[in-house]
Amino acid sequence: MLKKSVPVVDCDIHPYATSETPLAPFIPEKFRQAVAQGQASQPGHGYQNPFGVNRRDVEGCSPQSWARDYLDLYGIAFAVIQPPGISVSLAHDIDVGAALARAWNDWQIEHWLRADARYLGSICINANDPAQAVTEIERCAAHPQMVQVIVTGESSLLYGHRFYHPIYAACEAAGLPFAMHPGAEGARTPSTPIGAAASYFEWHSTLPLTFMAHTASLVCNGVFEKFPRFKVVLVEGGFGWLPHLMWRLDKNFKALRSTTPWLKRAPSETIREHVRLTSQPIEEPPTTQQFLELLEMMDAQNTLLFSSDFPHWDFDDPRRIFPPRMDEKLLRRILGENAAQLYGLRLENSTENETAKSETVKSENREALV
Amino acid sequence: MNGNEQEKRPTREDLPGVNNGFGTESPLDYAFAVVEKAEAPRARGRGKIEVGLASEIAPGEKKIVEEGALSIGVYNIGGAFFAIKNVCPHAGAPLCQGHIQTTHRPSEVGKYDPALEGRVLRCPWHGWEFDIVTGKGLYDTKSRVATYPVTIGEDGKVRVQI
Repeated sequence: MLKKSVPVVDCDIHPYATSETPLAPFIPEKFRQAVAQGQASQPGHGYQNPFGVNRRDVEGCSPQSWARDYLDLYGIAFAVIQPPGISVSLAHDIDVGAALARAWNDWQIEHWLRADARYLGSICINANDPAQAVTEIERCAAHPQMVQVIVTGESSLLYGHRFYHPIYAACEAAGLPFAMHPGAEGARTPSTPIGAAASYFEWHSTLPLTFMAHTASLVCNGVFEKFPRFKVVLVEGGFGWLPHLMWRLDKNFKALRSTTPWLKRAPSETIREHVRLTSQPIEEPPTTQQFLELLEMMDAQNTLLFSSDFPHWDFDDPRRIFPPRMDEKLLRRILGENAAQLYGLRLENSTENETAKSETVKSENREALV
Repeated sequence: MNGNEQEKRPTREDLPGVNNGFGTESPLDYAFAVVEKAEAPRARGRGKIEVGLASEIAPGEKKIVEEGALSIGVYNIGGAFFAIKNVCPHAGAPLCQGHIQTTHRPSEVGKYDPALEGRVLRCPWHGWEFDIVTGKGLYDTKSRVATYPVTIGEDGKVRVQI
């Protein structure tokens, strides 16, 4: 069992609006009628977990009860919120989508970030309107607990496309990573490139396909060459596929580099520098040795961030999911220090506080927080 | 696996291309700096291989010669002759059976800048790119195929110094 003193940063928790914390008051006034008449509609993917998405032993959702029943109980130093507004880019009406992004951001700030300094927010944007997205990023970036920009893996274009680059410029300028989270796959197009999965089981198991495609797109289109301080966080998309994709990109680079001459280093080097992945749902190979080898293959000491997905059904307990005899330095990196470095957080009981300087320019804000 | 003894990952400052006089900052910039510096290959003092008359190898053409186990491709690139070992360092393929091509030099995102016209050898097996003149692999800092000095005698004969 993990020592209680090892600091944990959870990069994926999912609060939702309740009758005590409704979204409606945060919808900009001019858009309330549009929302009331159904213009906030967005396509759904149609897959349902027949046994429910939330843990049956978690009652309700409030900043106070979660602080007590989750943050305190599990010893979580910081928890990054992935709000329901991550999917506003799917809204059929482009301006209502942008208004909803704004509403979810203010909802996070007023109900969650204000309640407890351990909660960190994700800035929702309508990625289909980069100009409004940039405005929203600039508006929210000033809040010291807003630590990243968030979108869904389901998107109109692969994220390496030049259409999105103004968003990345804004992220880089604000020192905010760009995170993506699955769950909307299948809403716009079939959930796999070939067709629609036939069950929630199949749909959920193939979500990493989206993340592999976006990662290759971001690398091959030169996003990280164009924005050298830009970071990407792949949330809940698995990580066992990363070594395969890195090896395959590196191998093809030797033959096909001249088709993307702006790439000036092996893709795996770029990925290790710019891309972070969250751990949940943790990969569970048949043996501990295989698990540890996988961590080594993906350079987990630099690339992997712990996440729990609380309070969802496939929740991972930070004190239980890693092998008992795992190297403590590696464990500390995964459980908290990698995220602290990425988001510019200061952790108590960290062995690396002096070296954990933020990878972003927002570090001063973040250190003022705690 | 031992996270305590993690191998130090090289940073950009550790790359051989930095502070070596090329003034480069990335693996590909370094590779192209090696290519553009085009240092003459050195003779190894193991004798010469007779290739034949220079007039028999037209510009853009090649001839493969062998001496014992050693196989070498001799290329005429725009009237100048170059010799490169006929073995790919990746998987041992007969490199000189690959296509002669042109590539793009490292560029800004979205820009193409054609480079090394007619002097890029693409391995026939997996497509890795090499500069015929220097033997430099065009994808990292380290890869290099052996190259050899070529002389053309007054008799019009091409000889490779091995």
